Amino acid sequence: MSETMPKPVASFFPALRLDELDDALAREIKEECGVDVELCLECGKCSGGCSNGHIFDYTPRKIVQLIKLGDRERLLHMDALWTCVSCQLCWDRCPSAINVARVMDYLREQTYKENVPPTRKEVALFHELMLGSVERIGRVAETRLVLEFNIKTKQYTKDADIGPKMFFKGKLNPFTSGIKKIEEVRQIFRKNPLRKEV
Amino acid sequence: MSDRAEKTALVIGGGIAGLEAAITIAGAGHQVILVEKSPQLGGTTRELYSSFPHWENPAELLQGKIDEAQKTGVQVKTGFEVISSQKQATGYQVVLEGPGQKREELAVDAVVVATGFELFDVSAYGEYGYGSYPGVVNTLEFEARLREWARGEGKEAPPQTVAFIKCVGSRDRSKGYPYCSKICCMITAKQAGLVKELWPDSKCYVFYMDYRAAGKGYEEFVRSVIEEKHVRYTRGRPAKILPEDGRLLIRTEDTLMGVPVEIRADMVVLAAAMQPGPGTREMSRIFDLNTDQYGFLEPLSGQAARVGERVFAAGGCIFPVENQGALQQGAAAGAGVVALFNQAR
Repeated sequence: MSETMPKPVASFFPALRLDELDDALAREIKEECGVDVELCLECGKCSGGCSNGHIFDYTPRKIVQLIKLGDRERLLHMDALWTCVSCQLCWDRCPSAINVARVMDYLREQTYKENVPPTRKEVALFHELMLGSVERIGRVAETRLVLEFNIKTKQYTKDADIGPKMFFKGKLNPFTSGIKKIEEVRQIFRKNPLRKEV
Repeated sequence: MSDRAEKTALVIGGGIAGLEAAITIAGAGHQVILVEKSPQLGGTTRELYSSFPHWENPAELLQGKIDEAQKTGVQVKTGFEVISSQKQATGYQVVLEGPGQKREELAVDAVVVATGFELFDVSAYGEYGYGSYPGVVNTLEFEARLREWARGEGKEAPPQTVAFIKCVGSRDRSKGYPYCSKICCMITAKQAGLVKELWPDSKCYVFYMDYRAAGKGYEEFVRSVIEEKHVRYTRGRPAKILPEDGRLLIRTEDTLMGVPVEIRADMVVLAAAMQPGPGTREMSRIFDLNTDQYGFLEPLSGQAARVGERVFAAGGCIFPVENQGALQQGAAAGAGVVALFNQAR
Protein backbone atom coordinates (compact mmCIF):
# COMPACT_ATOMS: atom_id res chain seq x y z
CA MET A 1 0.00 0.00 0.00
CA SER A 2 1.45 3.35 -0.98
CA GLU A 3 0.50 4.87 2.27
CA THR A 4 1.97 8.29 2.75
CA MET A 5 2.64 8.98 6.37
CA PRO A 6 0.68 12.00 7.49
CA LYS A 7 2.66 15.11 8.20
CA PRO A 8 2.50 15.91 11.87
CA VAL A 9 0.08 18.70 12.54
CA ALA A 10 2.02 21.69 13.83
CA SER A 11 3.36 20.52 17.14
CA PHE A 12 3.98 24.06 18.27
CA PHE A 13 0.91 25.58 19.84
CA PRO A 14 1.22 29.26 20.69
CA ALA A 15 -0.71 30.36 23.79
CA LEU A 16 -4.35 30.42 22.86
CA ARG A 17 -6.05 33.65 23.75
CA LEU A 18 -9.20 32.14 25.06
CA ASP A 19 -10.97 35.44 25.63
CA GLU A 20 -10.41 36.44 22.02
CA LEU A 21 -11.93 33.29 20.57
CA ASP A 22 -15.55 33.32 19.58
CA ASP A 23 -17.94 30.43 19.60
CA ALA A 24 -18.75 30.66 15.87
CA LEU A 25 -17.54 27.12 15.14
CA ALA A 26 -19.43 25.65 18.10
CA ARG A 27 -22.57 27.39 16.86
CA GLU A 28 -21.98 26.17 13.30
CA ILE A 29 -21.62 22.59 14.55
CA LYS A 30 -24.77 22.97 16.61
CA GLU A 31 -26.75 24.28 13.65
CA GLU A 32 -25.37 21.99 10.97
CA CYS A 33 -24.95 18.76 12.92
CA GLY A 34 -27.28 19.23 15.88
CA VAL A 35 -24.34 18.57 18.15
CA ASP A 36 -23.87 20.69 21.29
CA VAL A 37 -20.25 20.51 22.41
CA GLU A 38 -21.06 22.28 25.65
CA LEU A 39 -22.62 19.02 26.79
CA CYS A 40 -19.17 17.39 26.81
CA LEU A 41 -18.17 16.05 30.23
CA GLU A 42 -14.55 15.69 29.10
CA CYS A 43 -14.52 12.11 30.35
CA GLY A 44 -12.74 10.57 27.35
CA LYS A 45 -15.05 7.58 27.04
CA CYS A 46 -15.34 8.33 23.32
CA SER A 47 -11.58 8.22 22.91
CA GLY A 48 -10.85 5.20 25.08
CA GLY A 49 -13.04 3.03 22.88
CA CYS A 50 -12.44 4.65 19.50
CA SER A 51 -11.81 1.95 16.84
CA ASN A 52 -8.89 3.83 15.37
CA GLY A 53 -8.02 6.08 18.30
CA HIS A 54 -4.54 4.58 18.47
CA ILE A 55 -3.65 6.17 15.14
CA PHE A 56 -5.62 9.42 15.56
CA ASP A 57 -3.62 12.63 15.83
CA TYR A 58 -6.55 14.12 17.75
CA THR A 59 -8.81 11.75 19.66
CA PRO A 60 -12.58 12.34 19.66
CA ARG A 61 -12.41 14.11 23.04
CA LYS A 62 -9.77 16.47 21.71
CA ILE A 63 -11.80 17.04 18.57
CA VAL A 64 -14.75 18.20 20.67
CA GLN A 65 -12.33 20.35 22.63
CA LEU A 66 -10.94 21.87 19.40
CA ILE A 67 -14.47 22.80 18.39
CA LYS A 68 -14.86 24.60 21.70
CA LEU A 69 -11.56 26.35 21.02
CA GLY A 70 -12.84 27.31 17.58
CA ASP A 71 -9.75 25.85 15.87
CA ARG A 72 -11.32 25.23 12.45
CA GLU A 73 -7.96 25.25 10.70
CA ARG A 74 -6.54 22.45 12.81
CA LEU A 75 -9.74 20.42 12.53
CA LEU A 76 -9.85 20.57 8.73
CA HIS A 77 -6.20 19.59 8.42
CA MET A 78 -6.14 16.83 11.00
CA ASP A 79 -5.31 13.29 9.98
CA ALA A 80 -8.07 11.84 12.16
CA LEU A 81 -10.62 12.96 9.55
CA TRP A 82 -9.20 10.31 7.25
CA THR A 83 -8.51 7.56 9.77
CA CYS A 84 -11.99 7.74 11.30
CA VAL A 85 -14.04 4.82 10.00
CA SER A 86 -17.40 6.28 11.12
CA CYS A 87 -18.11 3.29 13.34
CA GLN A 88 -19.98 5.65 15.70
CA LEU A 89 -18.74 3.96 18.86
CA CYS A 90 -17.93 7.45 20.21
CA TRP A 91 -21.54 8.47 19.80
CA ASP A 92 -22.88 5.20 21.13
CA ARG A 93 -20.84 5.40 24.32
CA CYS A 94 -20.95 9.15 25.00
CA PRO A 95 -22.81 9.84 28.28
CA SER A 96 -24.02 13.10 26.75
CA ALA A 97 -24.89 11.45 23.42
CA ILE A 98 -22.57 13.76 21.50
CA ASN A 99 -22.44 12.53 17.92
CA VAL A 100 -18.77 12.97 17.10
CA ALA A 101 -19.12 10.76 14.00
CA ARG A 102 -21.62 13.23 12.54
CA VAL A 103 -19.17 16.05 13.22
CA MET A 104 -16.41 14.09 11.45
CA ASP A 105 -18.67 13.70 8.41
CA TYR A 106 -19.43 17.39 8.45
CA LEU A 107 -15.78 18.33 8.74
CA ARG A 108 -14.89 16.03 5.82
CA GLU A 109 -17.58 17.74 3.77
CA GLN A 110 -16.01 21.06 4.67
CA THR A 111 -12.59 19.92 3.43
CA TYR A 112 -14.22 19.23 0.07
CA LYS A 113 -15.95 22.58 -0.03
CA GLU A 114 -12.84 24.48 0.99
CA ASN A 115 -10.42 22.40 -1.11
CA VAL A 116 -8.35 21.28 1.84
CA PRO A 117 -6.26 18.35 0.61
CA PRO A 118 -6.88 15.15 2.56
CA THR A 119 -3.93 13.85 4.58
CA ARG A 120 -4.67 10.36 3.24
CA LYS A 121 -5.51 10.55 -0.45
CA GLU A 122 -6.41 6.87 -0.76
CA VAL A 123 -9.10 7.24 1.92
CA ALA A 124 -10.62 10.20 0.15
CA LEU A 125 -10.43 8.22 -3.08
CA PHE A 126 -12.25 5.32 -1.49
CA HIS A 127 -15.01 7.66 -0.29
CA GLU A 128 -15.35 9.06 -3.80
CA LEU A 129 -15.41 5.68 -5.53
CA MET A 130 -18.04 4.46 -3.14
CA LEU A 131 -20.21 7.51 -3.61
CA GLY A 132 -19.57 7.28 -7.36
CA SER A 133 -21.04 3.79 -7.32
CA VAL A 134 -24.10 5.03 -5.46
CA GLU A 135 -24.48 7.83 -7.98
CA ARG A 136 -24.18 5.41 -10.89
CA ILE A 137 -26.43 2.53 -9.82
CA GLY A 138 -27.95 3.58 -6.49
CA ARG A 139 -25.94 1.14 -4.38
CA VAL A 140 -22.36 0.02 -3.76
CA ALA A 141 -21.03 -2.48 -6.30
CA GLU A 142 -18.43 -4.05 -4.03
CA THR A 143 -16.41 -6.01 -6.57
CA ARG A 144 -16.08 -3.11 -8.95
CA LEU A 145 -15.30 -0.77 -6.05
CA VAL A 146 -12.45 -3.00 -4.88
CA LEU A 147 -11.04 -3.40 -8.37
CA GLU A 148 -11.26 0.30 -9.12
CA PHE A 149 -9.64 1.17 -5.84
CA ASN A 150 -6.80 -1.30 -6.34
CA ILE A 151 -6.14 -0.12 -9.88
CA LYS A 152 -6.21 3.55 -9.01
CA THR A 153 -3.89 3.03 -6.08
CA LYS A 154 -1.67 0.68 -8.14
CA GLN A 155 -2.05 -2.18 -5.69
CA TYR A 156 -3.04 -4.71 -8.31
CA THR A 157 -2.78 -7.80 -6.14
CA LYS A 158 -4.17 -6.40 -2.91
CA ASP A 159 -6.58 -8.86 -1.28
CA ALA A 160 -6.38 -11.02 -4.44
CA ASP A 161 -6.27 -14.17 -2.36
CA ILE A 162 -9.47 -13.62 -0.43
CA GLY A 163 -11.53 -12.44 -3.44
CA PRO A 164 -12.20 -15.96 -4.87
CA LYS A 165 -12.90 -17.37 -1.40
CA MET A 166 -15.51 -14.70 -0.77
CA PHE A 167 -16.96 -15.28 -4.22
CA PHE A 168 -17.44 -19.02 -3.70
CA LYS A 169 -19.03 -18.42 -0.32
CA GLY A 170 -21.48 -16.03 -1.98
CA LYS A 171 -20.09 -13.00 -0.17
CA LEU A 172 -18.93 -11.15 -3.24
CA ASN A 173 -21.26 -10.51 -6.14
CA PRO A 174 -19.41 -9.52 -9.33
CA PHE A 175 -22.58 -8.21 -10.93
CA THR A 176 -24.46 -5.72 -8.83
CA SER A 177 -27.72 -4.61 -10.36
CA GLY A 178 -28.85 -1.03 -10.13
CA ILE A 179 -31.93 0.22 -8.33
CA LYS A 180 -35.13 1.11 -10.17
CA LYS A 181 -35.50 4.77 -9.27
CA ILE A 182 -31.87 5.69 -9.96
CA GLU A 183 -32.90 9.08 -11.33
CA GLU A 184 -33.99 10.20 -7.86
CA VAL A 185 -30.60 9.27 -6.40
CA ARG A 186 -28.80 11.09 -9.19
CA GLN A 187 -30.80 14.18 -8.43
CA ILE A 188 -29.42 14.17 -4.92
CA PHE A 189 -25.92 14.07 -6.34
CA ARG A 190 -26.66 16.87 -8.79
CA LYS A 191 -27.75 19.05 -5.92
CA ASN A 192 -24.64 18.20 -3.89
CA PRO A 193 -21.81 17.66 -6.37
CA LEU A 194 -18.62 16.02 -5.18
CA ARG A 195 -15.34 17.70 -5.77
CA LYS A 196 -13.96 15.82 -8.74
CA GLU A 197 -10.18 16.19 -8.59
CA VAL A 198 -8.09 14.22 -6.08
CA MET B 1 -42.89 19.24 82.17
CA SER B 2 -41.77 21.86 84.67
CA ASP B 3 -38.64 19.82 85.18
CA ARG B 4 -37.77 19.99 81.53
CA ALA B 5 -38.07 23.74 81.28
CA GLU B 6 -35.28 24.09 83.82
CA LYS B 7 -32.71 22.75 81.42
CA THR B 8 -30.76 25.39 79.54
CA ALA B 9 -28.71 25.02 76.40
CA LEU B 10 -26.10 27.49 75.21
CA VAL B 11 -25.71 27.83 71.45
CA ILE B 12 -22.53 29.60 70.38
CA GLY B 13 -22.75 31.16 66.93
CA GLY B 14 -25.80 32.67 65.26
CA GLY B 15 -25.31 31.43 61.72
CA ILE B 16 -27.70 29.09 60.01
CA ALA B 17 -26.43 26.01 61.92
CA GLY B 18 -26.62 27.66 65.34
CA LEU B 19 -30.08 29.08 64.61
CA GLU B 20 -31.40 25.69 63.56
CA ALA B 21 -29.92 24.01 66.66
CA ALA B 22 -31.46 26.71 68.89
CA ILE B 23 -34.85 26.39 67.21
CA THR B 24 -34.79 22.58 67.59
CA ILE B 25 -33.96 22.73 71.29
CA ALA B 26 -36.35 25.59 72.10
CA GLY B 27 -39.06 23.88 70.03
CA ALA B 28 -38.76 20.87 72.36
CA GLY B 29 -39.53 23.14 75.31
CA HIS B 30 -36.08 23.88 76.69
CA GLN B 31 -34.40 27.17 77.48
CA VAL B 32 -31.93 28.31 74.83
CA ILE B 33 -29.43 31.14 74.97
CA LEU B 34 -27.91 31.95 71.58
CA VAL B 35 -24.76 34.05 71.66
CA GLU B 36 -23.39 35.71 68.55
CA LYS B 37 -20.23 37.79 68.70
CA SER B 38 -21.16 40.12 65.85
CA PRO B 39 -24.00 42.63 66.17
CA GLN B 40 -26.21 40.67 63.77
CA LEU B 41 -27.36 37.09 63.42
CA GLY B 42 -26.71 35.21 60.20
CA GLY B 43 -23.03 34.34 60.04
CA THR B 44 -21.68 33.64 56.56
CA THR B 45 -25.21 33.13 55.21
CA ARG B 46 -25.84 36.85 55.74
CA GLU B 47 -23.04 37.61 53.29
CA LEU B 48 -24.54 35.53 50.49
CA TYR B 49 -26.47 37.00 47.61
CA SER B 50 -27.85 33.78 46.14
CA SER B 51 -27.75 30.06 46.80
CA PHE B 52 -27.41 26.74 45.01
CA PRO B 53 -28.95 24.59 43.66
CA HIS B 54 -32.16 26.66 43.40
CA TRP B 55 -30.94 30.27 43.07
CA GLU B 56 -32.85 31.19 46.22
CA ASN B 57 -32.30 34.30 48.29
CA PRO B 58 -30.43 33.27 51.46
CA ALA B 59 -31.78 36.37 53.24
CA GLU B 60 -35.26 34.86 53.11
CA LEU B 61 -34.09 31.57 54.59
CA LEU B 62 -32.25 33.49 57.29
CA GLN B 63 -35.15 35.77 58.16
CA GLY B 64 -37.43 32.74 58.41
CA LYS B 65 -35.03 31.15 60.90
CA ILE B 66 -34.64 34.35 62.91
CA ASP B 67 -38.43 34.68 63.14
CA GLU B 68 -38.73 31.05 64.17
CA ALA B 69 -36.08 31.49 66.87
CA GLN B 70 -38.03 34.43 68.24
CA LYS B 71 -41.30 32.48 68.12
CA THR B 72 -39.86 29.48 69.95
CA GLY B 73 -38.47 31.72 72.69
CA VAL B 74 -34.74 31.56 71.96
CA GLN B 75 -32.93 34.19 73.97
CA VAL B 76 -30.62 35.92 71.52
CA LYS B 77 -27.54 37.74 72.75
CA THR B 78 -25.77 39.46 69.89
CA GLY B 79 -22.45 41.15 70.55
CA PHE B 80 -21.61 38.51 73.15
CA GLU B 81 -18.73 36.07 73.24
CA VAL B 82 -17.95 33.12 75.48
CA ILE B 83 -14.68 33.90 77.27
CA SER B 84 -14.39 31.04 79.74
CA SER B 85 -16.14 28.01 81.12
CA GLN B 86 -15.88 25.77 84.11
CA LYS B 87 -17.07 22.20 83.94
CA GLN B 88 -19.72 21.23 86.47
CA ALA B 89 -21.24 17.85 87.31
CA THR B 90 -24.03 18.23 84.74
CA GLY B 91 -23.03 21.17 82.62
CA TYR B 92 -20.87 24.24 82.46
CA GLN B 93 -20.55 27.51 84.31
CA VAL B 94 -19.95 29.93 81.45
CA VAL B 95 -18.75 33.53 81.39
CA LEU B 96 -19.94 35.74 78.54
CA GLU B 97 -18.57 39.10 77.59
CA GLY B 98 -20.78 41.59 75.82
CA PRO B 99 -20.62 45.18 74.58
CA GLY B 100 -18.54 47.45 76.83
CA GLN B 101 -16.72 44.50 78.47
CA LYS B 102 -19.95 43.70 80.31
CA ARG B 103 -19.62 40.22 81.82
CA GLU B 104 -22.35 37.74 82.57
CA GLU B 105 -22.11 34.37 84.22
CA LEU B 106 -24.60 31.60 83.66
CA ALA B 107 -25.05 27.89 84.24
CA VAL B 108 -25.90 25.77 81.21
CA ASP B 109 -26.66 22.07 80.88
CA ALA B 110 -25.41 21.59 77.33
CA VAL B 111 -23.52 23.53 74.68
CA VAL B 112 -23.78 23.68 70.90
CA VAL B 113 -20.74 25.12 69.16
CA ALA B 114 -21.62 26.58 65.76
CA THR B 115 -18.84 29.06 65.19
CA GLY B 116 -18.57 28.54 61.43
CA PHE B 117 -15.56 28.79 59.14
CA GLU B 118 -13.55 31.65 57.76
CA LEU B 119 -11.86 32.17 54.41
CA PHE B 120 -8.22 31.33 53.96
CA ASP B 121 -6.10 34.42 53.33
CA VAL B 122 -5.47 34.16 49.59
CA SER B 123 -2.70 36.76 49.67
CA ALA B 124 -0.50 33.74 50.45
CA TYR B 125 -0.47 33.31 46.67
CA GLY B 126 1.92 35.97 45.38
CA GLU B 127 1.35 34.69 41.84
CA TYR B 128 -2.32 35.72 41.98
CA GLY B 129 -1.65 39.20 43.36
CA TYR B 130 -4.54 39.40 45.78
CA GLY B 131 -4.16 42.61 47.71
CA SER B 132 -1.90 44.20 45.11
CA TYR B 133 -3.78 43.92 41.81
CA PRO B 134 -7.12 45.69 41.72
CA GLY B 135 -9.78 43.34 40.42
CA VAL B 136 -8.56 40.23 42.23
CA VAL B 137 -11.10 39.38 44.91
CA ASN B 138 -12.01 36.45 47.10
CA THR B 139 -15.26 34.49 47.16
CA LEU B 140 -17.15 36.54 49.73
CA GLU B 141 -15.95 39.88 48.40
CA PHE B 142 -17.33 38.89 45.02
CA GLU B 143 -20.60 37.81 46.58
CA ALA B 144 -20.92 41.35 48.01
CA ARG B 145 -20.20 42.81 44.54
CA LEU B 146 -22.87 40.63 43.01
CA ARG B 147 -25.38 41.98 45.49
CA GLU B 148 -24.37 45.58 44.73
CA TRP B 149 -24.61 45.02 40.98
CA ALA B 150 -27.95 43.29 41.23
CA ARG B 151 -29.28 46.23 43.22
CA GLY B 152 -27.77 48.69 40.77
CA GLU B 153 -25.46 50.04 43.48
CA GLY B 154 -22.15 49.07 41.92
CA LYS B 155 -19.83 52.04 41.68
CA GLU B 156 -17.53 50.53 39.10
CA ALA B 157 -18.43 49.60 35.55
CA PRO B 158 -19.54 45.98 35.29
CA PRO B 159 -16.74 43.63 34.20
CA GLN B 160 -16.81 42.32 30.64
CA THR B 161 -14.71 39.29 31.44
CA VAL B 162 -14.63 37.51 34.77
CA ALA B 163 -12.37 34.57 35.55
CA PHE B 164 -12.73 32.25 38.50
CA ILE B 165 -9.83 30.28 39.92
CA LYS B 166 -10.79 27.33 42.06
CA CYS B 167 -8.79 25.57 44.77
CA VAL B 168 -6.99 28.67 46.05
CA GLY B 169 -5.70 27.30 49.34
CA SER B 170 -7.49 23.99 48.94
CA ARG B 171 -5.79 20.87 47.65
CA ASP B 172 -2.47 22.62 48.01
CA ARG B 173 0.15 21.17 50.33
CA SER B 174 2.49 24.01 49.65
CA LYS B 175 0.57 27.23 50.30
CA GLY B 176 -2.72 26.09 51.75
CA TYR B 177 -4.37 22.91 52.95
CA PRO B 178 -4.32 19.40 51.56
CA TYR B 179 -8.08 19.08 51.91
CA CYS B 180 -10.85 19.98 49.47
CA SER B 181 -13.04 22.73 50.92
CA LYS B 182 -16.04 20.95 49.46
CA ILE B 183 -18.37 23.85 48.64
CA CYS B 184 -16.20 26.19 46.53
CA CYS B 185 -17.06 24.31 43.32
CA MET B 186 -20.73 24.99 43.86
CA ILE B 187 -20.24 28.60 45.00
CA THR B 188 -18.06 29.27 41.96
CA ALA B 189 -20.63 27.77 39.60
CA LYS B 190 -23.31 29.88 41.23
CA GLN B 191 -21.29 33.10 41.04
CA ALA B 192 -20.26 32.49 37.43
CA GLY B 193 -23.87 31.75 36.54
CA LEU B 194 -24.99 34.98 38.21
CA VAL B 195 -22.47 37.01 36.21
CA LYS B 196 -23.92 35.61 32.98
CA GLU B 197 -27.41 36.27 34.24
CA LEU B 198 -26.64 39.90 35.07
CA TRP B 199 -24.70 40.46 31.84
CA PRO B 200 -25.39 37.77 29.25
CA ASP B 201 -22.85 39.30 26.87
CA SER B 202 -20.01 39.12 29.36
CA LYS B 203 -17.45 36.34 29.20
CA CYS B 204 -17.05 34.08 32.13
CA TYR B 205 -14.33 31.48 32.65
CA VAL B 206 -13.82 28.95 35.40
CA PHE B 207 -10.42 27.31 35.83
CA TYR B 208 -10.78 23.96 37.48
CA MET B 209 -9.01 20.70 38.17
CA ASP B 210 -12.36 18.98 38.44
CA TYR B 211 -15.73 20.11 39.70
CA ARG B 212 -17.15 18.43 42.75
CA ALA B 213 -20.88 18.50 42.71
CA ALA B 214 -21.84 15.77 45.15
CA GLY B 215 -25.25 16.79 46.35
CA LYS B 216 -28.88 16.58 45.39
CA GLY B 217 -29.35 18.64 42.25
CA TYR B 218 -25.74 19.82 42.31
CA GLU B 219 -24.46 18.14 39.15
CA GLU B 220 -27.48 19.40 37.25
CA PHE B 221 -26.82 22.87 38.64
CA VAL B 222 -23.21 22.96 37.43
CA ARG B 223 -24.20 21.52 34.05
CA SER B 224 -26.89 24.17 33.63
CA VAL B 225 -24.31 26.88 34.33
CA ILE B 226 -22.09 25.42 31.59
CA GLU B 227 -24.76 24.43 29.07
CA GLU B 228 -27.45 27.07 29.53
CA LYS B 229 -25.61 30.07 30.94
CA HIS B 230 -22.56 29.33 28.76
CA VAL B 231 -19.88 29.72 31.39
CA ARG B 232 -16.67 28.35 29.91
CA TYR B 233 -14.95 25.76 32.11
CA THR B 234 -11.28 25.33 31.28
CA ARG B 235 -9.34 22.60 32.98
CA GLY B 236 -6.09 23.73 34.52
CA ARG B 237 -4.81 25.54 37.56
CA PRO B 238 -3.60 29.01 36.57
CA ALA B 239 0.07 29.64 37.13
CA LYS B 240 0.12 33.40 37.23
CA ILE B 241 -1.84 36.61 36.96
CA LEU B 242 -0.13 39.63 35.45
CA PRO B 243 -1.52 43.15 35.37
CA GLU B 244 -1.67 44.35 31.76
CA ASP B 245 -3.07 47.69 30.62
CA GLY B 246 -5.45 47.91 33.52
CA ARG B 247 -6.64 44.35 33.00
CA LEU B 248 -5.52 41.01 34.32
CA LEU B 249 -3.68 38.50 32.16
CA ILE B 250 -4.07 34.94 33.36
CA ARG B 251 -1.61 32.29 32.24
CA THR B 252 -2.58 28.67 32.46
CA GLU B 253 -2.54 25.42 30.58
CA ASP B 254 -5.58 23.83 29.04
CA THR B 255 -4.70 20.45 30.47
CA LEU B 256 -7.20 18.66 28.26
CA MET B 257 -5.39 19.78 25.13
CA GLY B 258 -1.99 20.24 26.70
CA VAL B 259 -1.67 23.74 25.30
CA PRO B 260 -0.85 27.04 26.98
CA VAL B 261 -3.78 29.41 27.36
CA GLU B 262 -4.02 33.10 28.15
CA ILE B 263 -7.03 35.11 29.19
CA ARG B 264 -7.41 38.82 29.74
CA ALA B 265 -10.01 39.49 32.39
CA ASP B 266 -11.36 42.53 34.19
CA MET B 267 -11.86 40.65 37.37
CA VAL B 268 -10.52 37.45 38.90
CA VAL B 269 -12.34 35.69 41.69
CA LEU B 270 -10.24 33.41 43.86
CA ALA B 271 -12.30 30.60 45.35
CA ALA B 272 -10.61 30.68 48.74
CA ALA B 273 -10.23 27.62 50.92
CA MET B 274 -12.24 27.57 54.13
CA GLN B 275 -10.54 27.11 57.48
CA PRO B 276 -11.60 27.11 61.12
CA GLY B 277 -11.92 30.65 62.41
CA PRO B 278 -10.47 32.04 65.66
CA GLY B 279 -13.86 31.49 67.36
CA THR B 280 -13.68 27.78 66.69
CA ARG B 281 -10.14 27.56 68.04
CA GLU B 282 -11.21 29.50 71.14
CA MET B 283 -14.21 27.26 71.80
CA SER B 284 -12.19 24.08 71.38
CA ARG B 285 -9.79 25.45 73.99
CA ILE B 286 -12.48 26.72 76.39
CA PHE B 287 -14.53 23.52 76.30
CA ASP B 288 -11.59 21.16 75.72
CA LEU B 289 -12.99 19.69 72.51
CA ASN B 290 -11.70 17.13 70.10
CA THR B 291 -10.23 18.77 66.97
CA ASP B 292 -8.58 17.53 63.82
CA GLN B 293 -5.12 18.54 62.64
CA TYR B 294 -6.50 21.74 61.08
CA GLY B 295 -8.42 22.89 64.13
CA PHE B 296 -11.89 21.90 62.90
CA LEU B 297 -14.02 20.27 65.59
CA GLU B 298 -14.10 16.51 65.28
CA PRO B 299 -17.29 14.69 66.28
CA LEU B 300 -16.67 11.69 68.53
CA SER B 301 -16.43 8.40 66.70
CA GLY B 302 -19.81 7.29 65.44
CA GLN B 303 -21.51 10.51 66.55
CA ALA B 304 -23.27 12.93 64.23
CA ALA B 305 -22.72 16.10 66.20
CA ARG B 306 -21.30 15.28 69.59
CA VAL B 307 -17.81 16.67 70.25
CA GLY B 308 -17.74 16.31 74.05
CA GLU B 309 -19.77 14.90 76.91
CA ARG B 310 -22.31 17.71 76.91
CA VAL B 311 -21.06 19.60 73.89
CA PHE B 312 -22.33 19.32 70.33
CA ALA B 313 -21.17 20.99 67.15
CA ALA B 314 -22.81 21.99 63.90
CA GLY B 315 -21.91 23.74 60.67
CA GLY B 316 -18.66 25.15 59.36
CA CYS B 317 -16.73 24.69 62.63
CA ILE B 318 -16.70 20.96 61.80
CA PHE B 319 -15.86 21.41 58.13
CA PRO B 320 -16.94 23.76 55.32
CA VAL B 321 -20.61 23.22 54.66
CA GLU B 322 -23.38 24.82 52.61
CA ASN B 323 -26.68 26.17 54.00
CA GLN B 324 -28.55 22.91 53.53
CA GLY B 325 -25.84 20.90 55.29
CA ALA B 326 -25.58 23.48 58.08
CA LEU B 327 -29.32 23.19 58.64
CA GLN B 328 -29.10 19.41 58.87
CA GLN B 329 -26.16 19.54 61.25
CA GLY B 330 -27.88 22.20 63.35
CA ALA B 331 -30.95 20.00 63.62
CA ALA B 332 -28.76 16.99 64.52
CA ALA B 333 -26.93 18.93 67.24
CA GLY B 334 -30.24 20.27 68.55
CA ALA B 335 -31.71 16.77 68.61
CA GLY B 336 -28.63 15.53 70.49
CA VAL B 337 -29.15 18.17 73.16
CA VAL B 338 -32.86 17.36 73.44
CA ALA B 339 -32.10 13.64 73.83
CA LEU B 340 -29.53 14.43 76.52
CA PHE B 341 -32.01 16.61 78.40
CA ASN B 342 -34.74 13.97 78.20
CA GLN B 343 -32.39 11.25 79.49
CA ALA B 344 -31.41 13.35 82.46
CA ARG B 345 -35.01 13.92 83.46
